[in-house]
Order: sequence, then structure tokens, then C-alpha cells
Amino acid sequence: MGIKIDALKCINCMACEMACSYHRDDGFAFLSACIVVYRAREKQDYFGVLIKEEEFLKVARPEGLEVNRIGEAADPNKKADASVKPMLLREGCDLCEDMDDYGPMCIAICPVDAITLE
Amino acid sequence: MEYLSTDKILVIDLATSKIEETALDESLVSEKIGGAGITKHLYEKHLNDDPIVIGTGLLTGTTCPASASGLITAKSPVTGKMCHCPVIYKVGIEIKFSGYDYIVVKGVSDKPVYLWIHDGVADISDASGIWGKDVWESTDSLRKFMGDDLLQTMMIGKAGENRSDYAQICYNYWSSPDRFGLGKLFGSKKLKALAFRGMGLIEVADHENFVRRSLEILKEIKTNDFMTKKGIAEIASAMGEAGVEEWLEPIVHRHSADYFTPYATNTAVFLDEDPKRVEESKVAEPGVLISDVLALLAFKKLGLSAEDAGRALKACAKYGIDPAAVAELSGKSSLKEIVDSFDGLSGTVTLKGKGSFSPWCPLKPIFNDFGLSGDAAEAEAWWERRQAVAMIFGIQPIFSVMCPELSEENMLELAAIGTELDLTQEILDRVVADLLK
Repeated sequence: MGIKIDALKCINCMACEMACSYHRDDGFAFLSACIVVYRAREKQDYFGVLIKEEEFLKVARPEGLEVNRIGEAADPNKKADASVKPMLLREGCDLCEDMDDYGPMCIAICPVDAITLE
Repeated sequence: MEYLSTDKILVIDLATSKIEETALDESLVSEKIGGAGITKHLYEKHLNDDPIVIGTGLLTGTTCPASASGLITAKSPVTGKMCHCPVIYKVGIEIKFSGYDYIVVKGVSDKPVYLWIHDGVADISDASGIWGKDVWESTDSLRKFMGDDLLQTMMIGKAGENRSDYAQICYNYWSSPDRFGLGKLFGSKKLKALAFRGMGLIEVADHENFVRRSLEILKEIKTNDFMTKKGIAEIASAMGEAGVEEWLEPIVHRHSADYFTPYATNTAVFLDEDPKRVEESKVAEPGVLISDVLALLAFKKLGLSAEDAGRALKACAKYGIDPAAVAELSGKSSLKEIVDSFDGLSGTVTLKGKGSFSPWCPLKPIFNDFGLSGDAAEAEAWWERRQAVAMIFGIQPIFSVMCPELSEENMLELAAIGTELDLTQEILDRVVADLLK
């Protein structure tokens, strides 16, 4: 079981990022989120969602899902965002195992149901 | 102020380069709640220094749906009166997460500067390297210099530097709700930009209850019919403007939302790239993000094609000029003539409403009727109050006129849960009345 993201449904609102960090910090921040909206290509209007799992970094791009095993060399043909690098230092997704009332917070908060469980 | 707050007010004097920080007193929040209630208080406190007060709403950057907005309170060069301009996209929340609830910028600098606000630190920096550059070049330059593509900016272009009456403060690369000529005010202070970035943590008094109520409100919102729609053309249709969807659709790339705003109010159009492309464009500047439905409609009514309207909006955003003023005052109907008119633009723009809140936000309910009768005076009073409340709590202004579920009662409840303050309807009524007088 894991998080599934429909990047074409995503409206780049960052609610998932806030909810994920809330699950870690019990406050409002973006610091600890293991799911982030990557939005650095602002002029290109190119955005999607990145999620760190225990062993994998999944990138839900508009054109499809990219799965990278953490520790393996990144694809040199893909441009990396400096702002995404701290992701590797963060805890991986635990599906919000302690949030009994809601399940994964990113799913509960996504206003357009772009995030589901697979 | 312990909760829903950074507890910090920043006061920057451009004339002396003095930077001061003060705490945000809980008593002030109890009296004024937040957002425009407090920016107005700070504006009046520093009135003799012609201040620009930048602030956030009490709920900005929380799990309250649509808590995306900050605001700028200042004396409008267009109206000569105090106004409140929404700060949208993701710029509004970055103000709070950069470490400050409110920032007062007073005085006049003797040389071009920008303010770099980051993680609770504020710097006045030399802007000579970007003064003279357009909004897009300047934002690119600051992001490259800081090594951070997520830097959020308020930026003026050549219109502001040249002190055009119609100069607009732009956010990142895009046009803004600034119908008030605040770009001219920035230019007159030799203030090129503010740049924000921060990874702050906002504490919540009863976080479990706050998030539970937020999700309940979101659930109510998601039953709304507008949740099946997206983008700026559907807003235009709901306003009664026929044919906009068909006109714009061929160049639409994607729709996006301001922070946690359930309706995607922004539409990106591609002008130099296939709009259907889903992979990242290799074109550096393929199009423009549109958030200003009334400016878009104004260019359409001049007879422009959707592509030329997009190009006009892009040119306005680069130059840092209010596209609605350009459409109204240029008297031109071709793209080239419109763009060539920027420097010589003159005349009086029509600002609907009372001039306190930005008529960038449509002055009518969208998608829902909010129980209004259709009487024009009733609708105007409703809009003014709705904008005032949005600017107090930090709610995306356009979403506030489409979503009845985001009621005053719900906002007050979240504010009270989040702060443990006794924030009542009576207090809100008093703050709103003060803003509307």
C-alpha cells in the first residue's frame, strides 16, 4: 500500500505538503513534509508532486510517474531542483500511521482528490 | 502572540536603514483580529512616514481552506486613500513563514534597494543590479542570486521605476490584484522589491480541533458544484460573460490554485509552445499565468484574439503595469499599439467599489448567490464586507465570493480554536465597520 498521485489532477495548492508537515510537527509548516509540490519551473507552468518513501523517491510528473531508488545515481538527463534536495534528509512516508481519524493526511486534505491510496 | 502567529512585527525605515522588531501583542489581536484590522492600525500609527504595511491574515498559511492571502495596506496613488491589496499565489503565505506577521516599510531610500526577508531575518539590499530590469528579469536575477527557485517576490518593473500612475506591484512573474498604483509608491521610495523565503513553524493552540474543523469545512466545500470546474474562463462564464471558454480554450495549458484554495483561480496559457504539451517546455518563457479575469475580459472586449490578449497580459506583467488600466485607457485595439502605449498612458481609471478593496476581484457572487436578492446596493455592501472579512483572516478574495461554506462563523471558530482568544462576532463586526468607514 502506498500513496498514488494524479499529477494532472493536481492544482499546485500545496495543501498536501502542509498536512504532511502538520502530521510530523503538530503545527503549521512545510519543513518536515515527505510530500512536496515541485513548482520551481514556474514560468514553464510545470508542476507535479514528489514523495519520499522509505526506499524510493517517487516523482509524479504530468507526463507520468518516475520512481528512483534512494541512493542510486540520479538520471543525468533530468534537471534537479536545489530546493528539493532537502527531501532526502526527511523521514519517509509512514502513511500517517498515528492519524487514526483520518488516515494519510495528504489524502484527507487534497481538495481535488488528486491523491489516493494504491 | 503565541498562536497562528510569528509574534513579530518588522519596521524598516528606508531613510535611515534602521530595522526594528517588535512583538505582536495578544491584546492587539483580541481587539483587531488580524490582517487588514492590524495593517490599518499600523498604517495609522506610522502615517507621517507614508508607510507601506505588508501583512498576513490571522488564518493565513493554515489548514483553513483558501487561507492563501496576505495584503498590502498603503495610500493608493490612484485614489489618494488608504487601500488594501491582496497578496496571492504562494507569496502571501511565504510572508508568514519567512518569520513576520506584519512588515512596515517607511521613509524613502536614497538609492534603489530591495528587502530580503528570510527565516526571521531582514536585510536592506542594494538593488542597483536589478533597477532598470523588467519584472521577469528581476525575479530571475534574485532567484539565481539566492540559489532558490522558490523565492517569492513582490516586484516592480519599469512602470514603477518611472512612477507611472498605473504601476503595479507584481508577484513573482505575474500580474497582481494591485489596481491602486502601489507600484508607483514602491518606485517613489526606490524600493524595487521584497523577497521572501522561510521555513517557519506556526503554533496552534488546539491543533487537533483546528485540523478537525478545517477538514469538516473542506468536506462541506467539496459538495459544491464549482468543485467540478477549474480556471479563469469558468469564472468569466459564471459572471455572465458568454464565449470566453471557447475563445480561451485553444491556448490553455493548465489551471492552478493559490495556497490550499480548492478552486483553481489561475489559468496558464501557452503562447509560444503547444498548450497540450505535458512534458516540461524547453521554451524559457512559453506563456503567462492569468489571475485577472476582468483584465482578460477587457482585452477580449477590445477585439483581441485570446493569444494577443495573453501576449498583452504578459507584456503588462513584465513592465509592471495594471493590465485593466491599460485596456481601459490605451484606446488601442491591436497588440502592438497596446504595448506601445505603456509609457504614455494617461487618464482616470474607473475603480468599482469604495476604493478600499481591490476590484480585481469580481464585484458579484460567483457560482453561488449567497442568498442575495439581486439588488445592486445589497450586492455592493455584501462584496465590501466579504472582502473586508477575507482581508482580516487571509482568505483568497475570489474564493471568498464563490464559497458560502467559508462563512464568517467558520472563520471565527477556527480563529478562536487556533488562538484560544475569545474572538466573537461582535469583535469582527467592529473591525469590519472600522475598515469600511
